[in-house]
Amino acid sequence: MPTILIADDEQHIRMLIEQTLESLEDEGVEILTAQNGDDALQTIKEKRPELVFLDVMMPKMNGFDVCNAVKNELGIKGIYIIMLTAKGQEFDKEKGIESGCDLYITKPFSPKELKNKAKEILGLP
Amino acid sequence: MALLNLKKILLRKDIIKLLDMLTRSMGMNVCIKDNAGVVVYGEGGGTQPGLPITASGQIMGMVYADDAGKAAAIVSLVNHIAGAEMEKKALATETLDKYSELTMLYDFVEKVNTFNVKEIAAFLIKHVSEQIKADNVSVMLINDKTGLPVVIAESGSDNGIGRVLLSGKAEIINDCPSDPRCRNVACTVSSLVCSPMKAKDKTLGVVTASTTEPYNYSADDLKFFCTLVSQAAFAMDNARLYESLKNAFIKTVYTLAETIEKRDPYTGGHTKRVSNYSIAIAETLGISAVDRERLELASVLHDIGKIGVSDNVLRKASKLTDEEFDEIKTHPMCGQEILSYIEELKNIIPGVKSHHERIDGRGYPDGLKGQEIDLIARIIAVADSFDAMTSDRPYRKGLPLEAALEELRKCSGTQFDTMVVEAFIEAWNNNSISLESK
Repeated sequence: MPTILIADDEQHIRMLIEQTLESLEDEGVEILTAQNGDDALQTIKEKRPELVFLDVMMPKMNGFDVCNAVKNELGIKGIYIIMLTAKGQEFDKEKGIESGCDLYITKPFSPKELKNKAKEILGLP
Repeated sequence: MALLNLKKILLRKDIIKLLDMLTRSMGMNVCIKDNAGVVVYGEGGGTQPGLPITASGQIMGMVYADDAGKAAAIVSLVNHIAGAEMEKKALATETLDKYSELTMLYDFVEKVNTFNVKEIAAFLIKHVSEQIKADNVSVMLINDKTGLPVVIAESGSDNGIGRVLLSGKAEIINDCPSDPRCRNVACTVSSLVCSPMKAKDKTLGVVTASTTEPYNYSADDLKFFCTLVSQAAFAMDNARLYESLKNAFIKTVYTLAETIEKRDPYTGGHTKRVSNYSIAIAETLGISAVDRERLELASVLHDIGKIGVSDNVLRKASKLTDEEFDEIKTHPMCGQEILSYIEELKNIIPGVKSHHERIDGRGYPDGLKGQEIDLIARIIAVADSFDAMTSDRPYRKGLPLEAALEELRKCSGTQFDTMVVEAFIEAWNNNSISLESK
């Protein structure tokens, strides 16, 4: 069963993404959430989700560090990481590439596009 | 509202734990089934009839237990949880709807300013169709001359309904057949939302979204619709202003060219023909839109520098002396100087300055070679020479058509760019060019 992790310190963003991806649960996808970087890294280690939405600005550990730990230090394979960054907040593309993230999406995001992207990555119809 | 799945609520770890603890402390077996009769928690059926779980007035499943009294306690707990989840879900759904609307609006506002009325209309229709149920979205603009609304873009088939709705106010009509305004319009529309396009104090037109099937548009639909329409109206107003500014600019350019031509009695219509030939070549070559726009202006202004050539040389009826020809040869440089004062025309200078350059480097004023010569100058060179060859001069007759084409072929690769000559001949053979205006 494919698993998706949503990591964002803002509750309403977590709720929005969860609601956006809700219909995927009917296809058997499990949706997990994390409220900070630490929490996100722990969940990734334990649950090995296929897809992670990772907010850049998070307490305890920021998104770049989490991504770097997963992709470079731990070398976990088969995990697609999408960075979420607020519009207007300069996204450091170089840092993103270094950390090994696969894609970045700016908030406010288009729910329809986000869902299509998730389906595409998980290979769902 | 989406029906909440009982399984989804009960499968949450904390809830299962709670139910486990409760049933264990009560010392009984409990079984919960959803509406389809599928067991979602516990097992067995119990001996008592099931008790319904209800949330927001909907029955979501049944609880079965050995003891009716104890089962009632479980039911009230599950009812409470389900009710709270339903509310949360409803809020989440509404928040997501609003968020989608908002991100769409951001996107719309950012991209709607295209300076092209048709593009704006198409963009508006796309976004309205995505968000509001409609089998036709139609954008009508009022024609400035006739004062009548004209459909400029629509997603379905014209139902003419917008024409009766120019009262200037946004509204919902959920039962068109019974609306007195729609009585005289032969159409099959059942429901619609409409909004005038207003910019400043002027009504530019009207936009309608309609369905032929009965449908109840809500106040929310109308509000969202009006927001998009008003943004599009501002963009259209800007586009129209931009368009009229551009037209005024182009007219000025043509007038300028016309002034030069009036001084030279032997070249009547030359500018127009060179411009037509150049455009035909450009279309055959498929050059970029930016280059094409530059070419249109440059071909019209290519001889603007002749303003600096004295009358007795320009209007001389006999063959020119070497000195006189040297004076004629100053016109590309003079053109460059004139155009350099106009910011909006700076990008066409290479086209004007280099239209007497030759591919082999033996042209003037700079002796540029091959690709060093701007593409639009290479095009104008062919168009200009062809017209000069086929035109009568006081001291000689113009060449016959075939001879002029042959001359182009002959000078292809030395005087002219081979690619441009080929494009010219191809355009000629396809009848894209004719000598009609001579």
